[in-house]
This record gives sequence, C-alpha cells and structure tokens, in this order.
Amino acid sequence: MNKDLFEYTLRLGDTSLILSQRLGEWCGHGPMLEEDIALTNIALDLLGQAKAFLAYAGEIEGKGRNEDVLAFHRDANHFRNLLLTEQPNVDFGFTIIRQLFVSTWQHYLYSELTHATDKNMSALAVKSLKEVNYHLRFASDWTLRLGDGTEESHQRVQAAVNELWNYTGDLFEIDQVDEALLKLGIAADMKKVEASWNKHIRQVLNDATLSVPEINNFMRTGSRKGVHTEYLGFILAEMQFLPRAYPDAKW
Amino acid sequence: MEVNIEQLEKDFQAKIDAGISIEPKDWMPERYRHQLIRMMSQHAHSEVVGMLPEGNWITRAPSLMRKMVLLAKVQDEAGHGLYIYSATETLGISRDEMINQLLTGKAKYSSIFNYPTLNWADMGAIGWLVDGAAIVNQTALAKCSFGPYARAMLRICKEENFHQKQGYQILANMMQGTEAQKQMVQDAVNRFWWPSLMMFGPSDKNSPNSDELMRWKVKLYSNDDLRQRFIDRTVPQAEAIGIKIPDDKLKWNEKTRHYEWGEINWDEFYAVIGGNGPCNRLRMKQRNDAHKNGQWVREAAIAFAEKRKKNKAA
Amino acid sequence: MKEQSSLESSEIFQLLYAIPDPEVPVITIGELGVLRSVDWVNGQLNITITPTYSGCPAMFAIEAEIKTILKENNITDFKLKTVHFPAWTTDWLSDDAKKKLSEYGIAPPQHSSQIKHLRPDEVSLQCPFCNSDKTHLTSWFGSTACKALYFCDNCRQPFEHFKCHH
Ligand SMILES: [Fe+2]
Ligand SMILES: [Fe+2]
Ligand SMILES: [Zn+2]
Repeated sequence: MNKDLFEYTLRLGDTSLILSQRLGEWCGHGPMLEEDIALTNIALDLLGQAKAFLAYAGEIEGKGRNEDVLAFHRDANHFRNLLLTEQPNVDFGFTIIRQLFVSTWQHYLYSELTHATDKNMSALAVKSLKEVNYHLRFASDWTLRLGDGTEESHQRVQAAVNELWNYTGDLFEIDQVDEALLKLGIAADMKKVEASWNKHIRQVLNDATLSVPEINNFMRTGSRKGVHTEYLGFILAEMQFLPRAYPDAKW
Repeated sequence: MEVNIEQLEKDFQAKIDAGISIEPKDWMPERYRHQLIRMMSQHAHSEVVGMLPEGNWITRAPSLMRKMVLLAKVQDEAGHGLYIYSATETLGISRDEMINQLLTGKAKYSSIFNYPTLNWADMGAIGWLVDGAAIVNQTALAKCSFGPYARAMLRICKEENFHQKQGYQILANMMQGTEAQKQMVQDAVNRFWWPSLMMFGPSDKNSPNSDELMRWKVKLYSNDDLRQRFIDRTVPQAEAIGIKIPDDKLKWNEKTRHYEWGEINWDEFYAVIGGNGPCNRLRMKQRNDAHKNGQWVREAAIAFAEKRKKNKAA
Repeated sequence: MKEQSSLESSEIFQLLYAIPDPEVPVITIGELGVLRSVDWVNGQLNITITPTYSGCPAMFAIEAEIKTILKENNITDFKLKTVHFPAWTTDWLSDDAKKKLSEYGIAPPQHSSQIKHLRPDEVSLQCPFCNSDKTHLTSWFGSTACKALYFCDNCRQPFEHFKCHH
C-alpha cells in the first residue's frame, strides 16, 4: 500500500468528518430556520465527502478497515483532522469564520487535486469541489453581513477571527507525506494553496470591514501528527459511544 | 358598494362542495382563514420543534450511513417547516408573528415532540410511528380545500414516506441484531406507541370544532377514523419484525376487518397538551434560546441589507 | 456463469432505470442520471451508480432497491459500485424528466449553459403552478439538498426548485 496516500486521504476525510460533527450540533438551534437548514446541509455534504474519503483510505490501507471502523474505532491521536474543525461552535459568528477558513482551504486544495494523477483522488476532489463552492459562498456572504452589520455583530465576528487565526498555521504545514505525494503528482502544492487562501481571506475580511490579526508566534499546529486540542477527545467520546459500547452490534 | 357576505359565503361553500380548491387570492370567510392559520402554523411549528428530539442523536448516530440519513431527515423536516410557514403567510400572517405565538406558548405543536429520545432505537421508532402517523394525517390533508396546503402535503408526504421506511429499517435491522439491540427497540416502541396514537387528537366525542372543519373540507376524516387507519396499517408491520405492541387489548376483529385497541390515557394526553409533558419546558426553552441567541444575527442581516440599499440609492 | 440470468445487460438497465427516486418519485434514477452503467463481465453483472450530492441519503435506499430487483431476476453474482466520476450534474436530466418535475410542482433546473449569473437570487424561474415569472427566492436550502424554496408573487404560494448543480 501507499502509506503516504493513506495518510493524505485520512486527513481529508477526518477534516470533513469532524467539521460535519460540529455543524451537526447546530441542527435545530440555528438563528433562523434558513440558516439552520443551511448548516445542516453543509454538514451533510461534508459527511458524504468524509464517508467517501474514508472508504477510499480503507481501500488503500487494505487491512479491511472500512469507513465506519476508521470513524468509530480510532482514538484521538490517530485522527488527522485540522485543528480548526474541532474548535467549538461558540456562536454563529465563530461557526461562520471557522467555515470560511476551512471552506476556502478546501476550495483551493480540491481545485489543485482535480488534477491529481490518482484517479480516485481527482474524482473525489471534483465531486467535493462543487459542493464546497456553495459552502464558501455561504460563509463569505455571512462574514460580510456580520462584519458590516451592527456594532455587536462586528465585534463578535472580529473576536472569532482573532481567536481562530491561531489555528490557521495548521492548515499549511507540510510534511514528508505532502512532499512524497507532490512528487507523484497526487498531493496539492500547499504553498500555492496558502497563497490563494491568504489572498481570498484578506479580501473577504477587508470587504467585511474586519481586520486581519497580526502574525503571531502562537500558531497552534499538530493535526498532521495527531496532536490535537482538548476538544477532540470529547467529540469522539460522543460520536463513538454506541459502536464502542456495543462492539458486536451492527447498526 | 354593498357586499353581500351571505352570498359570498354561499358561493364559497358551493365551490368547496364542488371540489374546487380555494386559492390565496380568493375570498374566504374570516373564520376559515383563521382556522387554516391555526392548523397550518401548528403544522409548521411541529416540523420545527420536531427537529429537537431527533437532532439529539445526530452527533451520536452509530454509523456514518445512519448519521447521514438522520441529518438529511431532520433537514427535510426543517424544509417542511419553512415551506408551510411560507404557505401560511399567504393567509395574511407573518412568520415573525407565528414564531412569536410559538415562543410565548400561544400556539401549539404536536404533543409527540414533548417526549424524550432516550436510546438510538428512538430514531427508528420516531421515523416508523411518528412519521407514519403524520403520513396518515397528511394523506388526508392532501385533499383539503385550501390549494397551497393540499399541494404542499402531496409532495411533503412523499418525503415522510421515505422517512417512515428508513425508521422502520433501523428497527428491522436492530431486531436482527444482538439482545441489547432488541431490547432498545422494544423499549423505544413501548414509550412511543401510545403517544403516537395521541397524535390524532382527542376522541371524536370530545373533538370541539370538527363539524365546521369537515364542512369546509379542511378536515376530511374524524380523529378516530384516522387513528384506526394508522393502527390497521402499523400493527402488521410490528408483527413482521417481532415487535410487541404494548397494548393487551389489541386484537384483530374479523367482522369489522379492523383492530380493536385499549383505551388511551386521556389524562396524560391533556397533561401534555396543557404544557406538562416530560419535555414541554425543555422544548420551549430550546426554541426560545435559539431565538434569543440568534437575535444579533438577524439584526446584523437587516442592518447590512439596509446599508446596501442606501449605498445603491446613493 | 452467464446461465444465472438470460437477460441482456440492456434489459437489466431498463429495469433499473425505472426505479423511482425515493423522495421525488415522479422521476426515476435513470432519468436523474444516478444509474450509470450495467454490464456483464465474465458472467458477473457490474452495475455502477453515482450520487447526486455526496451526502444524498437516497443512495442507500436506491442500492437496496437495485439488489431487490436483481434478486427477483435471479441475478446473484453482481458487483454494485458507487463511482464519483464523472461527477453528477443536473444537466443530465432529460427534458422529459424536467417536464415531470414541473407537473409535480417542482420548478426544474435550468441547463448550466443558461445560467449567466453565479448568484442564485438572480436566477428567474417560472412558477410550476401558474407559469408566471414573477417569482423570488426564499431560501437557497430547502428540504433535501437538491432543492431551494421560491415564492410566486402571482398565485401567491411557495414552490420548490430543483437547483442547477454543475
Ligand atoms: Fe416533515
Ligand atoms: Fe418526516
Ligand atoms: Zn404561481
């Protein structure tokens, strides 16, 4: 098996899965019915993508672990989702900024991966990209409304930007997995993704009258190595409890 | 100009008797309008409050497939709520006003959502029984006299059918599983069976405004008729997968070709619709919290839209 | 062994083509473009399907229905595969399917080539009930991922729109 490809696919799948899990917490509690539906819809797209990526990861690994085994029977240190995705919803502003950061990342990443030499990878990228475009538009529109809305909304969403900015370094870490796959034409060129991400995010924040935080040296990274924030353990405890409590059961 | 209300009412009734649907722009008696607003907004509220008990289990669904199906189902219900609110607005009430009525406890929603979801099989039981009961109600409503509502029911009912099948499938699958899973299923059905029967409302002898609603074809069958229909189609489904219906008096009557069933606990029914069910306060709190926490977001959206309008004008 | 079924792959394709969509049963999985191919390969039947949206919950029900139909036709040796490429688009919907959607009360998707603006609120649609084009978007997301909610200002009622996805 291609261990790097397994690892890389896992990262994409876990990122979608954990963000979907967070968005699912909103269901029934949104600020208005339209946004409630929108968040659920994005959660659903991401879950579908996660399922496809994890199924492919299981296939690459070839040890009989399917998408459910990967989702429900790994502990936190084996998860490869971006740190951003496990950050709590806090309020609608945080949720929107988290979505903006991740959807922008996915948009440029999948755009690159549509040219991947690995057929399955490029197919999943093309499919996911179509859906991510809607997520990105949704998040960008709301960033604009909240940033340039009322005094309160501006403050809230600026607080979200400032707080979540600390996890954006994690988006672009490059390790030997990326390097090896880049040579094979499978992985995205993260330098390119980072440049595009920065340009777009600065544009949106600027349009939304929000300021971009100063570069600081407190960037939290580590998702590539499975070093997470405290939140992931709680997410998994909730998400995995049934299959873990009833290991013989099929659902 | 003198408008002859009596004549208008006569024409209105003639139209209904002839099976011609009433459209939003048509004249209608104020009482008809009022009754429809009451029924339709109650329906919309039920779709929205109904998201809560099932929403509980989205983060805990036991497989990715089940999680996906549940998320999609709850999204469907939200979509139904949105659609029906929109259709109700055409009768001359705003969504804000309807939501205000819900949040202040002035408007009702289906009593079933005041019961808790305690184990995973509840997701199956709700799909099978609650969506199942909704289908029986809504199939009837698809023939009601108000056009937009009838048309909405036709399509929404197809989606409820899908939900019902998925719910049943959760249970059927668990009934073939471990002992613990079978127990979960029976426990869920024990808790949801009677409240599902209560979804059809009080028995006919205690149903207040039925005559008028029937004359206007807003209601087409009596509560007990619909309840019977639900029981007749549901009991064989339970038997097929080995679920026991928690009613000792339940039996097939060969003569009437219908099931006979035990007495509903009407004290419980009136307690729940009176606000004292197991989860009434929790559900209202959850809706009120969501509304309160969303206030700043809605204000921001309005402020932003106004700024844009001004900029465009300038 | 080919003996297990004497049906040609094209005949099976037609059988599966007619499976109704579980949520919008006026159109079939064939018309939707979810059913991609049916082929006999060395005595094994290979079927490929593709999801509309990644998170489409109907896929599980569709798979089950396909299996039921294969069983009814004594086809036991088969491989049912989900593919993601080429990615599904509403441009695959036949004119016939679009007409059926409209009659059912859902405004069908426009062909992607007709959509000049990216923004959905700028897309003008015809009301499936009264054919008026005095309509406006209420919510880009409706029940089911594939639909948006609109309102007709002429006959004054909501209607659903099967969104263009490409
Ligand atoms: Fe519903
Ligand atoms: Fe439903
Ligand atoms: Zn119209």
